[in-house]
Amino acid sequence: MKSLPILLMALLLACSAGAQAQTRLLDDRVTLSGFGTLGLIHSDQDRADFVRDTGQPKGAEKGWSARTDTRLGLQASVRLTDELDTVVQGMSQYHSSGDFSPELMLAFVRYAPDPGFQLRVGRLGWDVDLISESRYVGFAYPWIRPPVDHFGVLQLTYIDGADVTFTRPVGDDLVWARLVAGRSDSRFFMSDALEADFDAHNVLGGHLNYETGPWRFRAGYTRVRSEVSFSGGDADLIDQMFNIDANRYLNYLTGFDELQVYSLGAAYSSGPLQLQAIWNRDILADGDTWLDTGFVSAAWRMDRWTPYAMASGTRTHDSREDPIGSNIEQNTWSLGLRYDVTTHLALKAQFDRIHTRSPGLLWRGIDDGWKDDQSNLVSLGLDFIF
Amino acid sequence: MTRFTRWIRVTTIALLFIGTTARADIAIVINDASTVRQISHSEAVNIFMGRYRRLPNDSVALPIDQAPIKARFYRALVQKDMAEINSYWARLVFSGRASPPQQAGNSEDFLDIMTHNNNALGYVDAARTPPHMRVLLTLSE
Repeated sequence: MKSLPILLMALLLACSAGAQAQTRLLDDRVTLSGFGTLGLIHSDQDRADFVRDTGQPKGAEKGWSARTDTRLGLQASVRLTDELDTVVQGMSQYHSSGDFSPELMLAFVRYAPDPGFQLRVGRLGWDVDLISESRYVGFAYPWIRPPVDHFGVLQLTYIDGADVTFTRPVGDDLVWARLVAGRSDSRFFMSDALEADFDAHNVLGGHLNYETGPWRFRAGYTRVRSEVSFSGGDADLIDQMFNIDANRYLNYLTGFDELQVYSLGAAYSSGPLQLQAIWNRDILADGDTWLDTGFVSAAWRMDRWTPYAMASGTRTHDSREDPIGSNIEQNTWSLGLRYDVTTHLALKAQFDRIHTRSPGLLWRGIDDGWKDDQSNLVSLGLDFIF
Repeated sequence: MTRFTRWIRVTTIALLFIGTTARADIAIVINDASTVRQISHSEAVNIFMGRYRRLPNDSVALPIDQAPIKARFYRALVQKDMAEINSYWARLVFSGRASPPQQAGNSEDFLDIMTHNNNALGYVDAARTPPHMRVLLTLSE
């Protein structure tokens, strides 16, 4: 937590530098830019702690917290030739190492010989649905944070590999498709006493997109094969008490070692109205267990003000009796307001009412037997780009 | 002196009024050495919003933003203000998907890029189309 004050200082400095446009150097070949969020969250829930995603080891306890949503990202883009460019992005946020240590989020070379084709090689974003690639960039969306019911579990942070994108016009519309292959490492916290390290050695996916007028549609499929190592007090207990290999046992129970994600999404943006809806189905190894997640959001822009409403939900379908208490059933209603102070700085306020029937992996510090409860969150955010 | 002041005031107001009414349309232009004669509204959106940057003559389009009339242009093109346009680009830039148009800081830079590149697409006030530029599409404000 020592690094939180440093990050906050950096964020304030970035803001006080003014809402500057992207800094361009060396005859426009190099572009330096960045994004960030100063987030404050207030929870009224004293029986469990709220997390933004399962990469966060500790959650927001009852009262105020600045840890959940605060982040800073810096990016450099270099145009090497007309066909070749490279992008490097580092980001600091509260993540699986338990602090704000920076991570390399993007580092790729792009070859784009034609508007209809591009190849990227290196570290890429996790592009599993319509907005997963940009879920950390608060200025890009109306909400304080993308819905936790949807983005809270089974999300990789990045992919090391390659993708190809094909784009074709069809009349006035556009069709584009992307294929990706690579690998990734991720750590998920399943509870305070159990964490899962994913060595996702085989990630394969693709999506098909159709853009017509104000509409964007997407259908996608991704398969992630991983070696998963479990650690923490609960894994040790399984080792000792039952004298069995905790990894094998927990892999068998969770099915995390093979994950398939199907995704459907639609977005509409015309005049003042913005609509978004995404549904994902995450199927775990044996195929008998899956997680449905989704949300619907509507926002209406009036000059600098953008009020919005969102409904999201997640539910595990499991033919067994939830052997390790990892099944989730939760839905959230959110209402909020974004105010664009300048063209590079926005203030947001959001109220979330969360109904948790079964917390599964989505909460920390859970009191024994906590379920079927309501939580109210109030969040304030300042999002900026430069 | 009083009469002179009144004359100045009336002339200024008249000029302001003329200036306002003259600010009617925005023209998307290209160097007149290009073989491109016109583009559709959806092609203009695809090019300036980074979706698909191909000109009708099959060459790669190089869109240029011009700071002084950028806000007017995007209001006319996609009915969005600059905060919304920046929000749109934040999604694409910070996911490494696409880059916004090259920025011309002033009209000299703009003319320099436009005259030296036959695939550069820019926009100007329709009432002040520079010489040697062909209008491809006119957007009503």
